[in-house]
Amino acid sequence: MKNSLRQSMAWLHTWSGLLLGWLLLAMFVTGTSAYFREEISLWMEPELHASHATPETPELAWQALNRLAPDARAWDIRLPDARAPVVELGWQPDTPEAQNEGRRRGERAIMDAATGEILTPRATRGGDFLYRFHFELYGVPRLWARWLVCVATMFMLVAIISGVITHKKIFKDFFTFRPGKGQRSWLDAHNATAVLALPFHFMITYSGLLLFMVMLMPWGIDAAYNGDRRAFFDDAFPRATETTAQSQEAAPMTDIAPLLAQTRRAFDQPVTRIEVNRPNRAGATVSISTDREPEITGRRRGSAPTLVFQANSGALLETRPGTSEALPAAVRFYNLFANLHLARFADPAVRWLFFLSGLGGCAMVATGLLLWVAKRTQQLKQRQPGASLRLVNALNMASMTGLIGAMAFYFAANRLLPVELAQRESWEIRVFFISWLLSLAHALWRPNRRGWIEQLAGITVLWLSVPLLDMATTGSHLFSATAWQHGALAGFDLACLLLGALWGYALWRVARHGGGKKGTARQPRRSPGTATGAAS
Amino acid sequence: MMVWLALALAYAGLTALALGMKRHHQSLLGAKPSDARLRAFRVTGWALIALMLLCCLRLWPLGLALSLAFGLATLAGLPLIFLLPYRPRLAARLALALPLAAGVGVWVV
Repeated sequence: MKNSLRQSMAWLHTWSGLLLGWLLLAMFVTGTSAYFREEISLWMEPELHASHATPETPELAWQALNRLAPDARAWDIRLPDARAPVVELGWQPDTPEAQNEGRRRGERAIMDAATGEILTPRATRGGDFLYRFHFELYGVPRLWARWLVCVATMFMLVAIISGVITHKKIFKDFFTFRPGKGQRSWLDAHNATAVLALPFHFMITYSGLLLFMVMLMPWGIDAAYNGDRRAFFDDAFPRATETTAQSQEAAPMTDIAPLLAQTRRAFDQPVTRIEVNRPNRAGATVSISTDREPEITGRRRGSAPTLVFQANSGALLETRPGTSEALPAAVRFYNLFANLHLARFADPAVRWLFFLSGLGGCAMVATGLLLWVAKRTQQLKQRQPGASLRLVNALNMASMTGLIGAMAFYFAANRLLPVELAQRESWEIRVFFISWLLSLAHALWRPNRRGWIEQLAGITVLWLSVPLLDMATTGSHLFSATAWQHGALAGFDLACLLLGALWGYALWRVARHGGGKKGTARQPRRSPGTATGAAS
Repeated sequence: MMVWLALALAYAGLTALALGMKRHHQSLLGAKPSDARLRAFRVTGWALIALMLLCCLRLWPLGLALSLAFGLATLAGLPLIFLLPYRPRLAARLALALPLAAGVGVWVV
């Protein structure tokens, strides 16, 4: 192309944006939901909803492990926190087979924090499915999927940079939105969501690539470590080495309660984790940890404030204050971006901030895709749209309303599929993909305004009915005390209602817009901001 | 409460910056601005943004504060953009009312 830089960049932006926009949108939507991955998982396991933390919870967990695995090699108790109301029990069986397994994953159980009863939640992938989908897709070999996602992410970075270059008046138009002007309004909405949230878009894209750095750019590591990746991982992400007290002689352990109280006093924070090495034997040790102060350039694991006790006598062996070690600048840089991407440090308010920024990202990709169609429809001037325009319109529809509808189906399937169904978690995912496929078929059949109206009506009904379904099938719905005890449960249902209302508003705007422009199918998406201005 | 103050300050700061631009000044306040007036609004805008940054620094450690300041500015900017064409007067009034309300909130709580 022999055009000016800006024209070449506009070309690059338009076509890389269109080709990878659909995949990027799916990544953005599922990735945004992943900020509430644990909350979604909790919602999808109603068997756990009654559990709540009490002062006796640690002792109940202690008794449960003494009952379940008194002779294990190690115990691991994760106490309830703000995001999970249950106790996670983990233990390593002390058998040769368990030792020989390369990973030594051990056994797990979920315990009711109030009663000490072992719970068996329904089989579901919960929020993890959506989270995994956003960087590994599904059913594609993992390595292929990750490469595909990385290529899309790289194009996103290209689109961000070329978009900034293409944007003629980035500062002059900073606050500009002109509603009711068709293509112009879409461009304004696309610019506004892109430019205002540019720091977020750049951060999420760049850190996304950084998280896959070993896969994308292995050469430096291979050169420095002579191809020994494991040695690199051991150096870069060290794991705590296990103490090896090898006595098999049985010996009773001291009461756990005073040790817990001591730890709580020492760090002035609630205890979150108890680890025991060689329980019920002579020389057993117990490490009791609290949460550490979040530090954005710090590591996730390994440096929580911990007291280590001799478990038979209760004597204090070691105090680990959990201060972060001095890390090299490059590692701190990596940690900064990784922690930002995963919102690891986030309290609920900050988590919502990231979620809303994620929605902004969805809106940016969606308005960009719709702009492509709006621009070409405007050029048609009442002629019939050609096959390619219809195809793009249909794919837009499937990637927006289709995916959103599929997510509602996924949640509904969680409540409706029988609990004892074999391969239940796979069936939930099948429901997700089948409904997505059906929406694509519908979109290809009706790639026009009518198709949009039908799909918008569909997702409005679906999202509004998820809380109703919850009410019909569980005891932890909006009108129950349980749901409000764990804010996440009420929050999930309220978010469904809110999003349903948003889709309904979008539907109203498109329907009211009148049938004057056939095949335009412009319709507001995602963020309320875009929604207000989108339809002309 | 401090988070809300930071958010309100970000909104007020961005509104002031918009008022420092000829196009938006006219639609928001309905008068033709002088250059000095525009400059005064721009200075006010940046000052408010600086205040917002101070709030963030009191809330979070340095690295996190800088990162989240961007996020708060984004969050404050989006409603502003979509209020401007529909309810310009409301947008301007909110820029006064929100920081006041949040300031009172911080003081009371």
